[in-house]
Amino acid sequence: MIMHACVRPLAAASLLALAAGPALAKTPDDQLVIGFSMTNILTLDPAAITGKETVQVLANVYDGLVQLDPVNRSEVQPDLAESWDVAEDGMSITFHLREAEFASGNPVRAEDVVWSFRRLMELNLAQASFLKTYGFTAEAAETAFTAPDDRTVVVTLPQKVNPQLIISTLGIVGPGSILDSKLVMENERDGDMGTAWLSQNSAGSAAFALQQWKSNNLVLLTRNDNFWGEEPAMRRIIWRHVPESQSQRLQLERQDLDIAFQLAPADLNALQNKDGIEIQTTPSAGFYYLAMSMADERFQNPKVREAMRYLIDYKGLNDAILPFFGKMHQRPISGGFFGLLDDPGYTFDPERAKQLLAEGGFPNGMDVTLRALSDDPFLNLATALQGSLAQGGVRAEVITGSGDQIYGAMRERNFEMIVGRGGGGQLPDPDSNMRALIYNPDNSDEARLTNFQGWRTSFMDEELNNLIDAGASEADLETRRQIYADIQNRIDEVVPPLIPFSEVVTSAAYRADLEGFVVNPSWSTDLSTVTKNR
Amino acid sequence: MLTRSRTRGLLRQAGTIAVTLLGLLVLTFAIGRLMPADPVRAIVGEEATQDTYMQVYQELGLDRPLPMQFLMYLRDVLTGDFGTSIRTGQPVLNDILTVMPATLELATLAILIGATLGITLGVIAAVKKDRWQDQVIRVFSLMGHSMPIFWTGMIALLIFYAALGWVGGGGRMEDYFIGLVPEVTNFILIDAALAGEWEVFWSALNHLILPASLLGYSSSAYITRMTRSFMLDQINQEYITTARVKGLSVRQTIWRHAFLNIRVQLVTIVALAYGALLEGAVLIETVFSWPGFGQYLTSNLMIGDMNAVMTCVLLVGVIFIALNLLSDVLYRVFDPRTR
Repeated sequence: MIMHACVRPLAAASLLALAAGPALAKTPDDQLVIGFSMTNILTLDPAAITGKETVQVLANVYDGLVQLDPVNRSEVQPDLAESWDVAEDGMSITFHLREAEFASGNPVRAEDVVWSFRRLMELNLAQASFLKTYGFTAEAAETAFTAPDDRTVVVTLPQKVNPQLIISTLGIVGPGSILDSKLVMENERDGDMGTAWLSQNSAGSAAFALQQWKSNNLVLLTRNDNFWGEEPAMRRIIWRHVPESQSQRLQLERQDLDIAFQLAPADLNALQNKDGIEIQTTPSAGFYYLAMSMADERFQNPKVREAMRYLIDYKGLNDAILPFFGKMHQRPISGGFFGLLDDPGYTFDPERAKQLLAEGGFPNGMDVTLRALSDDPFLNLATALQGSLAQGGVRAEVITGSGDQIYGAMRERNFEMIVGRGGGGQLPDPDSNMRALIYNPDNSDEARLTNFQGWRTSFMDEELNNLIDAGASEADLETRRQIYADIQNRIDEVVPPLIPFSEVVTSAAYRADLEGFVVNPSWSTDLSTVTKNR
Repeated sequence: MLTRSRTRGLLRQAGTIAVTLLGLLVLTFAIGRLMPADPVRAIVGEEATQDTYMQVYQELGLDRPLPMQFLMYLRDVLTGDFGTSIRTGQPVLNDILTVMPATLELATLAILIGATLGITLGVIAAVKKDRWQDQVIRVFSLMGHSMPIFWTGMIALLIFYAALGWVGGGGRMEDYFIGLVPEVTNFILIDAALAGEWEVFWSALNHLILPASLLGYSSSAYITRMTRSFMLDQINQEYITTARVKGLSVRQTIWRHAFLNIRVQLVTIVALAYGALLEGAVLIETVFSWPGFGQYLTSNLMIGDMNAVMTCVLLVGVIFIALNLLSDVLYRVFDPRTR
């Protein structure tokens, strides 16, 4: 009897479940649904964004004057500028704009372009650093960016730099994004140049416009009917926050997602041979590296640094830990970049390392601390490195923690060894890698050049600094190629305290019936060309 | 009528609440500042130059002494200004009004399932003490209590979503329905019903049922065990025997007599379980990509977005105090001795 009385509510609950019925699957033909993690998205203002995810989204909302080629990394393609010419002296670039409208219906004018660059410099937020590197400042922005007429923009270089570098920089989503100045200024609050408004709205001219951003939930883009290019097949792009890799995988398999951008290697492995799903692995920006601090006296000795070079099991790390994360790479210049030499072919050689350590005054090896983020793949890398270092007599104690504990310590120059990731490359030019990894114009503690890994590792080499400056300003291609060859050879010789062993790759899994989906190594994947062949 | 001692009692209670909330804020602020999270770095990114870093550092007011920062926060809160979230750039109150309905929807259905299941099974287990029904129920509820919810979440998704296709995967509804229904209350079931979009309604229910059932199952474990022990206390008392001797059926004895006497204790148990669901559904929210309060709180904590975190903690405090007060009131309603 009691059983009878109790069964009713249970039956009601199961009925409720059944009432919900079978779930609908398959995304509609004219909507693209993408799963990724939005944890790092704090704003959608192109001047203030950081990281890969925002670039992925905004590449489809904002145009630049030019865009970076997704296949040939050294090339740029026209975007809002139909063409451009470089002045004879190489000190200015003139861009000729095409007829285009913003999503708001306002025309794209040279004035908007100039305003966007000046705004970037004046706000001085995350994305300003790209141009600051080449001498652009907020104070000089008035003269650096000018608009002689409605269709012409002139960028005057503040210092001698290869103009191609500046053109490529303007192809990066963020520093290069062109905003509808009229619309933004209508929504300005307390002199913020529209920053607050732009965190939730968009003012671009690309194939899609931002309809809605809900933090850690979704970004909804709708087709921009005023787009100057070919009309995209997709009416909407829905970026969904799916932080759990396994959930992403299930939803991709069930066809509730068309593209999954943040899958863990285990899930990518499982999807590899699955019917109806394809995986694209593309080189991306940055490297996995082992770094030492030259603030620690032991690492000032070049023999000791060279020993570390032979205590990395390059093949083992790349084969066992880094599939889908990285690809074996030993030079500090990204794959496909201008001037990259073949890998020098360092191998794991503990005997040679021991000998070098002995020559450096450490016949009995040494004790070090090795820092690593506690996430994948860093913890595994640190454990593997601990093993390989030990074979050369370097006894490493692994310290794990959050980004602020690991990279924070590196920024404070308060570490011994670290296994990390970074090193430029969003700007497709070797200069970007060199500045991020090697360059250090002032090695004093007070300089706090925390954006340079060279400074963080207390490494400074006058000759390399000069070569890097020369490489950035050289206009002649062959001379420039020779400079980067010299730089790489010098790096072989002086052994900077940061040793790359793998190049970061981006892996995306997607439904095989998508066409026209090409992952851009600079993160700015264009989705306007994607169609579904069903 | 309010007597003087009753007024004094109420004042004392209000004072206790205020001190509790203030203590909670001090503690949260201290934890937030001691934690190795750098909100400035989260904003400016890894590659920013030092001058950009310092500019944002000052804009956020982090250059002021800590006690000063806390007092200024307190002053703002007292004037009803909970500040702006670093993560979203929106007033924290707006954010919470957006994420809270998602969690309320989930937690309410979960507690309905959990309480129904838990109380029913608890009563059966007590009545059938030490017989096979009791053993089965005890194992069943022990499993609900001890299996990690993110694991059950993944397994349930694998079975009911991936293999059988009975329910929706992550999120609150099918993605292509997003934006179809005007957001009035942010409760999707209610908004969809108001707009007459029944397809969206069913899609939302379809996505809600699995995470809610899992949460319900997990909280039913505790409710079952408590119900069973409350019920056993009652069954062993003389008035039950008297009722049976008088000729009442088992069913009448259990439900009309024993159960009525444990209602009061059950209310407290269920209210606390509900409170825990409101703030503690973080893992299930992650597995099911559920844009709720738990996810909001933790992701903001990770980057040191203190305005958001403190307001969330304050809200959790208020919810628990309110639930306690509510169960106090219900005690008075259900138990004549307390009147």
